[in-house]
Amino acid sequence: MLFSRRLMFGLAMASSLAATLAGALAVPAMAEGPTEIDLFFPVPVDGKLARDMGTLIKEFNDGHPDIKATAVYTGSYDDTLIKTRAAIKAGKPPSAVIMSANFLLDMQIENELTNLDALIKADGTTKEQFLGQFFPALQGNAVINRSVYGVPFHNSTPLLYINADKAKEVGLDPSKPPQTWAELTDWAKKLTKREGDKVTQWGIAIPCAYDYCGWMMETLTMSNGGRYYNEEFGGEVYYDTPSMLGALTWWNDLVYKHKVHAPGATPGPAVSTSFISGNAAMMMLSTGSLTYVRDNAKFNYKVAFIPRNVRNAVPIGGASLIIPAGLEAGKQKAAWTLIKWMTSPEKSAWWSRATGYFAPNMAAYKTPEMVDFLNKNPDAKTAVEQLDVAKPWFATYKTVPVRKNLEDEVMLVLNGKKQPKEALVAAQKAADETLKPYNADTSLKLP
Amino acid sequence: MSLAEPATLPVATSAAPRLDVPKRLVARFKASLPAYLLLLPSLVFLALFTYGAMGRVLIDALYQRATPKAPVRFVGLDNIAAVLADPAFTGAVVNNLIYAVGTAIPSIGLALLFALTLSRTHAVSSALRAALFLPVLIPMVAASALFMFIFLPNVGLLDYYIGRLLPVLPNWLGDPDIALYAIMIITIWKNAGYYMLFFLAGLQAVPEDVMEAAHLDGAGPYQRLRNIILPELKPTFLFVIVIAILNAVTQVDHVFVMTQGGPSNSTNLVLFYIYQQAVEHYDVGKASAATLLTLAALMGLTALSFRTMANREGGP
Repeated sequence: MLFSRRLMFGLAMASSLAATLAGALAVPAMAEGPTEIDLFFPVPVDGKLARDMGTLIKEFNDGHPDIKATAVYTGSYDDTLIKTRAAIKAGKPPSAVIMSANFLLDMQIENELTNLDALIKADGTTKEQFLGQFFPALQGNAVINRSVYGVPFHNSTPLLYINADKAKEVGLDPSKPPQTWAELTDWAKKLTKREGDKVTQWGIAIPCAYDYCGWMMETLTMSNGGRYYNEEFGGEVYYDTPSMLGALTWWNDLVYKHKVHAPGATPGPAVSTSFISGNAAMMMLSTGSLTYVRDNAKFNYKVAFIPRNVRNAVPIGGASLIIPAGLEAGKQKAAWTLIKWMTSPEKSAWWSRATGYFAPNMAAYKTPEMVDFLNKNPDAKTAVEQLDVAKPWFATYKTVPVRKNLEDEVMLVLNGKKQPKEALVAAQKAADETLKPYNADTSLKLP
Repeated sequence: MSLAEPATLPVATSAAPRLDVPKRLVARFKASLPAYLLLLPSLVFLALFTYGAMGRVLIDALYQRATPKAPVRFVGLDNIAAVLADPAFTGAVVNNLIYAVGTAIPSIGLALLFALTLSRTHAVSSALRAALFLPVLIPMVAASALFMFIFLPNVGLLDYYIGRLLPVLPNWLGDPDIALYAIMIITIWKNAGYYMLFFLAGLQAVPEDVMEAAHLDGAGPYQRLRNIILPELKPTFLFVIVIAILNAVTQVDHVFVMTQGGPSNSTNLVLFYIYQQAVEHYDVGKASAATLLTLAALMGLTALSFRTMANREGGP
């Protein structure tokens, strides 16, 4: 009797467990109503971007009763790639992702992206018309092998931020910002303050942390007339080249020869904090930080083009909206509706004003709110003007490890552990090793 | 009808020799069935998430991941060889050893110091205990985010105070020579309070009368510590050392938040290396191989520690 009671108890527990499991499995099948979609979004820069995203998605849901979108915060750009891949592997891909524009090639190579050509065609428009809405400089990272894989959403270029008050103090004219590396070096020297050997104010700060460092190297290399990678083929990078050596040598000189840039690798938030607190008089940073600077700087500041050594050129940064592969048709369609809504001139303009990123949709700049906003904040124009000289963001097979191959070496240089030449030779060797499987798969049988 | 009852049942049935063998087995099975049923949920989860995962790792380690154009293929021990030949892995192992020793010794030392100082309960000591224990309650991720601001070069709290004294401001997280030690500071700060709890518990077990007798015999504080307290704390020490070593390998939240293994792999730890291989390089084979090596090392180390404990005290 005693045992059977215990047995009953055990069986009851087991069956209740089974019932719970069965219940949990049965529920989704019965659900009807709006199509539920997830949007993964990263926050790579300073500011209140996460709150703005909530506002945007609420507005979308209010206007689209048949779709229920949920915004899911996924960390940095790198984290967002990782989380998206994990979700795809687990068979539950998010319906849309704001994905760092330079990861699209890598994802396409791994068959993780939905080709958007069919969705564009179903809307009764052509690829050319669809892409025509966006600044031409952005298409390099969105189109792969002549198919559309991403829709530009918020984009950036690097900018030179100048503390105008401090520039005036030392007799520099902030309305004529430095245009060449030589002039920039000169400005940085004048803006560096010392007490004995100790620096109390740095002339310039350039971020170098994973992700940012590679982008800044691309910026400097492009201004030096070179390029970072092969735009047509995902298996080649150009680290050990004269143009990149010149770029890294100049950066190294700012630190160790002119002593106007703090040694060591500095993350983006530390650079912007340094600038805001007056500890650094100039900085090179994304236009994505513009709203943060505007809201927090207690001094007059000025934004300018990135100075050139050989030519004016900057890489595109920022993110595109993508639809991962393997979604059911209903969700895919709902995600496409969301993407088109988010990249429309009005929404794209609103987002640009909220964050500091520029709006990829050219018509955004014709909306009355945007015209008004630019009149009040002329600093927001600089990034858009710089688009004329913008080029695609580096994108290769295994973009993140290939980028880190370079970043690890650049960090050693900025810490005085290596000279630029040996660092770049090592970076090239490491990157070639990382790219080897792709090269072996595609064109070459490497030794 | 207590839950512990089934454990004693086999003894009861073996004392009933009249039953023949199958019946006895059936009876035993019937008797212990509820116990097994109660264990079942845990067993299912353990099998699924611990042993199943381990089995999967074992298999994955033998295969090379498919590239977009080449399928998965069996490579045997190649992945293990590749991991052992990877300077990033050997670097991570060295970093991890420095990290383990460098965090275990100071945090255990501090914990013992705290515990000895605060072993008697009165108002001040409980308040201090709570204060020292507080870091344990702060999630590692939150603590790391906090320390990121403390470590900010030039403008951070640390540079603000210490920077005035130093000729050159260190870039705490941006200098490959310093970053690992900067990260170790957080671990020590977090773990000292945790280990203090074990030592406090250990000190409670030191017999009052022995201490009193020693006191009457004229033993000074140092002699009492050396000859009574420390020997009594031996099992606690061994236990805390095992925990500290396991922590050194399993805690990587701060690496994630603060440095991502950088600059230049100077703060890369073994677990973070595994994560990098699996998700950044998308190389499950190599990640599994590194996991197996780590698992083997940890199991060996733990077995060794438990044996030492068993030999010394006849049981932990």
